[in-house]
Amino acid sequence: MRRDYGPYPLWLRCWHWSNVLLFVMLLITGFSMHFSRVGPPPVTFRTVVVIHNTAGILLTLFYCFFLFGNLRFGNARYYLITADDITPGMLRQARYYLWGIFLGSPHPYPHNPHDEVRKFNPMQKMSYLTVMFLLFPILIVTGWALLFPYLLPNEIFGLPGIAPWALVHTYTGYFIFLFMIVHTYLGTTGATPGELFRFMWSGVGPEPTSKLRTPDLAESAGSDVQVTAQKDHK
Amino acid sequence: MRAVAAIVLLLASGICLVSTGMAQTGGQEPPCMQCHKPSDIAIDPARFAQSEHGAFDCTFCHTTGFSKFPHTGTRAEMRDCMDCHKERKLARIAQAVKASVHAKMAARAFRCTNCHSPHYFIPASHMKDVSEAILVANQSCLGCHAKGDTLADKDLDLARKHAYLFHAELHLQRNECVACHTDPGEQTMHLILPKSEAVKDCATCHAQNSMLATKLYAHLALKERAQQGFVNAILINNAYLVGANRNRWFDWGAFALAGLLLLGVAAHGLGRWIFARLRRRS
Repeated sequence: MRRDYGPYPLWLRCWHWSNVLLFVMLLITGFSMHFSRVGPPPVTFRTVVVIHNTAGILLTLFYCFFLFGNLRFGNARYYLITADDITPGMLRQARYYLWGIFLGSPHPYPHNPHDEVRKFNPMQKMSYLTVMFLLFPILIVTGWALLFPYLLPNEIFGLPGIAPWALVHTYTGYFIFLFMIVHTYLGTTGATPGELFRFMWSGVGPEPTSKLRTPDLAESAGSDVQVTAQKDHK
Repeated sequence: MRAVAAIVLLLASGICLVSTGMAQTGGQEPPCMQCHKPSDIAIDPARFAQSEHGAFDCTFCHTTGFSKFPHTGTRAEMRDCMDCHKERKLARIAQAVKASVHAKMAARAFRCTNCHSPHYFIPASHMKDVSEAILVANQSCLGCHAKGDTLADKDLDLARKHAYLFHAELHLQRNECVACHTDPGEQTMHLILPKSEAVKDCATCHAQNSMLATKLYAHLALKERAQQGFVNAILINNAYLVGANRNRWFDWGAFALAGLLLLGVAAHGLGRWIFARLRRRS
């Protein structure tokens, strides 16, 4: 039962992997429509549109479930930004990714399944906030607008009414695709390349093997952070 | 005084007689209209004057048998479109019409004027925008092909027939019927196909090499092709087509960003691997 009460409970993992599946389908079908060519494709434009629309509607439902789950099960607290997250949190995390990770320095914000306050490092928090609470709503709203194009104004800024919605929808999708590249890569920065993926799949994460100290305390004490929850690549 | 008045009247009637044999010019009423008042005939003189043939006198086409009253002329004695329109393009159009379902179904009864009103015809390239060209072109088709007494009934009937399309109303409003109902490989847009052979592959238009750009909007292609960096920018005058319209700058920007990101990620991963090996050795 532990896994359902950890930082990645079952509902969240179900949402995450469903979201991955749907978003990949949306990306493939979106690319297929955007770069459509005359000729016999493996799947017809019409079928691609049906898949894209269906996946988009499901993604919206799952997003609503994500919002509900965050409020209902308390996951929303992990997204709250503190002053420490901006400075020095972001700088500390950036320094780690740019330098410390190569030298085998301990992770400034190691994963700790028992931490009730922090689940994400500051950069994670900022990027997830941007993607989940800014880009996803934009993508969903513009996607639904394109499902009902006859309700859109005939003209916006001298372009046909559909154009701005379609352009914003398409390039927001691009940005989320870019996020996915980085997100997937950073998923390999656990003790082993697969550790964090297994964590997100099973909900069972690495246990800290010694007393956890927060980076703030470690810095104020003028010492290195002595955490082993994040194993380096030895 | 009477003599002066008689001279003036004679001069005036002479001018009228001369004018019947001349082309109608700037705002003058065609002489036929002296009897055929606008309320008596179906032709709207104002619209006729705006049309491609508006500079011609009525008798230019209504030739034999229309100079005296009662008129003895018949439709068969009228000029045919092809008597004047001998250009090579028109010959291609005539061939296409002969092969079309219209000619097969209606045989000789089908003439240019069934679709192109000789009194109001304006080439698409002279219309103010694409939407006007679409409206005018579609009115020709709907005159015969939509059931219903009112415009709303006709629209409903059309929407029902085209229900297989996504957003049928938009397709019907912003597209010419002939875009899908002609042979995609034929340039004149006059080879009308039977309903069963209409274009149903969305990618015919929703693609970078959209048929619409090369056929329907060909007259606008040269002047607007490069507008705003959009692929098929000419179509954006009328509608945004997913697949046909995309912005090259945005696309290249997005690809460049993705490429840089992948390179960065690969370099970072390689760096981690190399440093981990070095640490192991030391």
